[in-house]
Amino acid sequence: MTRPVSALAAVIAAAGLLAAWELAAWLAGIDGFPPASRALAQIPRILTDGEALLDIAASVQRMAVGFVLGVAAAVPIGLTMGRSRHVAAFFNPLLMMIYPVPKAALMPIIMLWLGVGDASKTLVIFLGVTLPVIYHSYQGSRAVEQKMLWSAAAMGMGGLSRLVRIVLPAALPEILVGCRTGLVLALITMVTSEMIARQAGLGNILFNALDMAQYDTVYAMIVIVGVLGFVLDAAFERLRARLVAWAAPSHAIIAGTT
Amino acid sequence: MRARSGIATVVLIGALPIALIVGVWHVLAATGMAPPSLLPAPSAVAARLVQQWSSPAYLEHAASTLLRLFAGFGIAVIAGIAIGVAVTASRWVGATVTPLVRVLAPVPKIALYPAFILTLGFGDASKIALVVADAVFPILLATAQGTAAVEPKLAWSAQAAGASRWRCLLTVVLPAALPSVLTGCRIGLVISCIVVFLAEMITSTDGLGHLLVRAARSFQTVDMFVPLITISLLGLLLNAGFNAVRRRLLAGFPETTE
Repeated sequence: MTRPVSALAAVIAAAGLLAAWELAAWLAGIDGFPPASRALAQIPRILTDGEALLDIAASVQRMAVGFVLGVAAAVPIGLTMGRSRHVAAFFNPLLMMIYPVPKAALMPIIMLWLGVGDASKTLVIFLGVTLPVIYHSYQGSRAVEQKMLWSAAAMGMGGLSRLVRIVLPAALPEILVGCRTGLVLALITMVTSEMIARQAGLGNILFNALDMAQYDTVYAMIVIVGVLGFVLDAAFERLRARLVAWAAPSHAIIAGTT
Repeated sequence: MRARSGIATVVLIGALPIALIVGVWHVLAATGMAPPSLLPAPSAVAARLVQQWSSPAYLEHAASTLLRLFAGFGIAVIAGIAIGVAVTASRWVGATVTPLVRVLAPVPKIALYPAFILTLGFGDASKIALVVADAVFPILLATAQGTAAVEPKLAWSAQAAGASRWRCLLTVVLPAALPSVLTGCRIGLVISCIVVFLAEMITSTDGLGHLLVRAARSFQTVDMFVPLITISLLGLLLNAGFNAVRRRLLAGFPETTE
């Protein structure tokens, strides 16, 4: 996968997927698997429905807040871990323990504590985002050339400003790789926790449609969530490429789930 | 001697935050600041954990979770490695699969779950399909990247010695790419663990995830913690087990950093 994929190839791939779906649905001929054309026809209706749109906007807003807070908390932790063996030793076992915990599964417990409102949903997204960002910031910060830090210290730069002015920019490419994974995870956690909590949001619309046997709407929502994931990822990748054009491009394995 | 005391310090520092969390948890519960209905004492959770782990009914739930996990992970490993190798081996497969993966990888696979339910039913098949959909991408990407990075001279020598193209792929290229392939599989394994639990939480009549949701509906807080801790420990154990296998398989390889 080291070859860059052009936008045209992505469009052709998406069209091919839709064509395959259309064909498979006609061949299968079951209610629960409507053809792509019928599902896609529902999308304009959903996106012009005020209530659904508000729900989607609220979901995306919670996701954005959780993502920004997660990055803001994770980057300082990861960077200090990379520069201090003691800080790394302090956090590593804890993070290793948290790693296999399904974050969205915490939803019922967090809802007991914080209620069904925005706070619990945002907290779950926050938890989903922090881990990959900490991990990549840690890796990036660990790889910073020691000589640069010595030079800065010799010129009288203090510990904190070394971290902000040398380690942070030097680790930026790796941090942004973590942020990219974190962004995809934020979306996944958001949809999953809404499917579990069944209160509001994209995940809830999806399962309400399923309960009411509105199969076209179910598939239309799946397409909307999928496109949202693709667009967010592509937009972030573009931003990343611009910010760290000086660094060698890296191809992270998207370890996407919570 | 110094190295040993160094390791002891690292372990001690690492145990600190975990002990701190359990300590605060204990104090919160013991002083009654958090009522048991919201936060049961850690001792109560531990006692229930031990009790459940020796209960045949609980183990049956755990067994159905494990069955789905391994079925999904197994299919994902076979499909991921096969497609990943084919992407490197054939330009045509690469040109077709790469844009497809580019489009599908950032899509939150959990959104496909309603579609799997509609086409495959509420039973095991839809959950296994979701696990495959989530776990296959890291394995596929790691295999494609690993096999693409194999020194071409290795393959040329094998082919010059008379090995056919496919034989060369299986006996030279794939083993040379093993470190990368196994890293992808390890990520896929933890993802499988998390996804199977979430799928069971969303709709299921058995399995560990179902137990959490059932406990949440009847506000049995202790019983909410037990399946969550079980699945996390399971993730840790599988991860550790996989690492042990990995070390054995990679015994002859130069040290790789992750």
